[in-house]
Amino acid sequence: MATSVLITGGTGFLGVFIVDAIQEQHLEWSITVLDLVLPKAPKDNVAYEIGDVTDLQSVIAITDRIKPKVIIHTAGLVPELAGRYGRRLKERVWDTNVNGTRNMLSAAKKAGVEAFVWTGSCCAVTDDMRYQYPNIDETWPTSNTSLIYGESKAAAETLVLSANTPLLSTCSLRPSVLFGPGDYQLIPSIHAMIPKRETHLVIGPGSNLWDVTYAPNIADAHILAVENLLSSSKTAAGEAIFISNEQPITFRDFCLALWKEFGHIPTWEVHIPVGVANLAGWVAEWVTWVTGTPTTLSRGVCWMRLGRGIVVGRRRGGCWGISRGWGSRKV
Amino acid sequence: MGCASSMGEGCHGGVRIAFRRRDNFGDSTKSLLHSCHDRLPRPTSRTFSAFAAKMPSARDVVYYLFHIQELRAIIHWKTWHKPVHERDESKESRDLKECYRFLDLTSRSFVAVIQELHPELLVPVCVFYLILRSLDTVEDDMTISIEEKEPLLRDFYTHIDHENWTYDGNGPEEKDREVLVKFDCVTREFNKIKDEYKIIINDITKRMGNGMADYAKNAGDNSSGVKTIEDYELYCHYVAGLVGEGVTRLFVTAKLANPALLQRPELMESMGQLLQQTNIIRDVWEDNEHKRCFWPKEVWSKYVDEFSDLFLLQNREKALQCSSEMVLMALNRAEECLLYMAGVKEQSVFNFVAIPQSMAIATLELCFQNLAIFDRNVKITKGSACQLMTESTQNVQLVCEVFRRYARKIHRKNNPSDPHFLDINVACGKIERSIESIFPTQTPRTLPHGADQTVAMDSEEEAKRKAQEAEAKKDVMYWALAIFATLGIITAVMVVAA
Repeated sequence: MATSVLITGGTGFLGVFIVDAIQEQHLEWSITVLDLVLPKAPKDNVAYEIGDVTDLQSVIAITDRIKPKVIIHTAGLVPELAGRYGRRLKERVWDTNVNGTRNMLSAAKKAGVEAFVWTGSCCAVTDDMRYQYPNIDETWPTSNTSLIYGESKAAAETLVLSANTPLLSTCSLRPSVLFGPGDYQLIPSIHAMIPKRETHLVIGPGSNLWDVTYAPNIADAHILAVENLLSSSKTAAGEAIFISNEQPITFRDFCLALWKEFGHIPTWEVHIPVGVANLAGWVAEWVTWVTGTPTTLSRGVCWMRLGRGIVVGRRRGGCWGISRGWGSRKV
Repeated sequence: MGCASSMGEGCHGGVRIAFRRRDNFGDSTKSLLHSCHDRLPRPTSRTFSAFAAKMPSARDVVYYLFHIQELRAIIHWKTWHKPVHERDESKESRDLKECYRFLDLTSRSFVAVIQELHPELLVPVCVFYLILRSLDTVEDDMTISIEEKEPLLRDFYTHIDHENWTYDGNGPEEKDREVLVKFDCVTREFNKIKDEYKIIINDITKRMGNGMADYAKNAGDNSSGVKTIEDYELYCHYVAGLVGEGVTRLFVTAKLANPALLQRPELMESMGQLLQQTNIIRDVWEDNEHKRCFWPKEVWSKYVDEFSDLFLLQNREKALQCSSEMVLMALNRAEECLLYMAGVKEQSVFNFVAIPQSMAIATLELCFQNLAIFDRNVKITKGSACQLMTESTQNVQLVCEVFRRYARKIHRKNNPSDPHFLDINVACGKIERSIESIFPTQTPRTLPHGADQTVAMDSEEEAKRKAQEAEAKKDVMYWALAIFATLGIITAVMVVAA
């Protein structure tokens, strides 16, 4: 019998790549996608279900009907830059990321699912902005006082990993910042700096390194994780694993390379001290509040551009050797 | 490897007919190394000539007037560098003295570091050097016919323990022919060293001889130089990677380096590759002048149709891009070199491997984004060389600092319009990551749970940090002032306009 795989968030940025990767590597798996809406261009041989992971009853109805062997739970809410550093969206983010995950785990247990792979995030650790994260690895603790997104991911991860039992194997994958074709958050906001003539500004020394992850690579990681959890060794069961391209660069370089693809190379640059940037972000937020019109600048943007020294170090287990190389040129 | 370079200098199997001699230090450092070496009791005439070689030119005087820091580095090195070990000439046999004389004659760059080596390895490494040097002298000499040369190279390892074996088939022009003419001095010393060292030297000589013979045989019909990147790396393997393996095995056998180095052979290979590739990049102009080409066709053919076109004025940009790709290939080896050096225990061995590596990364930085490499010989200045030597004769942490410094320089020089921009930055990032993994930054977060949350910092660093913070604060004040002033002006203008 075909291995039945349920993918939540399967029409999203990452979900689409996971569906593609499965269709490429595991023709014998039957795919069901659960998402809030139907995709504009449905794929062949994929069953689509409309549902909301925050609604336990509807989720259970679906899992009871299709009895999946594997659940890839990738549905989540990633707040956009402007909302990311505030706490305004906390309820929504928490509801989708934590309650949604709790619901999926309950449904998985009830339906007798064997493998549960959850898309976590490096933010579960790194959103705590008091620290730098040089050569971070899985031994570093998660933080429950960080940003709303990181907090929700850390809480949900605890749920996922503690649900690991001999019957239901779970694991969490923590990709670093994703980019790839169809990205609607990272690359558009970097590109948007060109017309705004902001490409000359560098906040701080611009020497902090971080690791990005090309979306198809993280899709491959999901498949490797599923294979591992279905195998007899199950070395990934109950584990959280960082995923990255293993290509440490500065955020500035990533932007420069991206801008070049759009034919833009900044001819000069000016370094703005971190404190000033923070102040300017604060002023801009204040102006937004007074005038009611959104500005491009916020403290979050400043932090974003600062990059925070996230370099993902080695990860445990031998099964995660993935490299498709740079994808930025394809974007 | 230390030796790789010194020997690399000697064991350059020419892919083309001609042979190239490489000196990893460049001439500038040669006399400096001699100067520290001159403290050893030496024949007067030699000391004299070394002194003569040190007379600064007017150009040097002007240069150092404007680069006081470099002058300081030179004085520092000359004043403070003490050899870790010194030769004991009273116990040396006549043959051994002769060997050191050969070493002095043939090696421009490594005579000093070899002679400072731990007594356990001093003779084995010296003999090893002279054997490889001789092998190379045979390979290099175009007056020897290929019919004679090929078997001589392949069987060379069988001669190294023949107490009476000598060879006088080299042409009279060959500068190092004397070593072969009196090769029996070397073989007699070879027979005196420990058996475990003999096995290693024998094995490397055999493999290098065969590698050289293959190239020599191909040299006739392979007129376009090195074709693929694979060929290029194989060539560097024969002339430098193998030496890396040989000396590493010697170090480990003598218990002067971590045996784990042999478990990861890619590390010692990278040590040789980085040195050799750097030399090949730096010497591109000189090689072209001599109608030789060691850059692989697979690389340069992406930019120009003929190798010599790289040197044309209208191809400047293409040439620069091509050199970036070459630098990238070498830079990718740096990470493994750092890991290797972290596994060396003994100080003299550390100096022996670290000095050439630091020189190489500095030379790589000098060649990167530098069109001058297509116009003339470029080399690092004496001052930088001295500073590098001082830093490379302490500990691995300082060498890591050297690598980090030059990786950042390369990063800063990198040009977004270069096709290898991203890859080169990633290579630099990997160097930083590697250093971070060898010497992790201590932050409150990295300490184990429950450990004291105050991080020990040495006072100097603390002071530096405070100074930086103070400066940042001042900057913030100025900027804040500027921002509010601007806002104020805009408000005023709007009020007036209204």
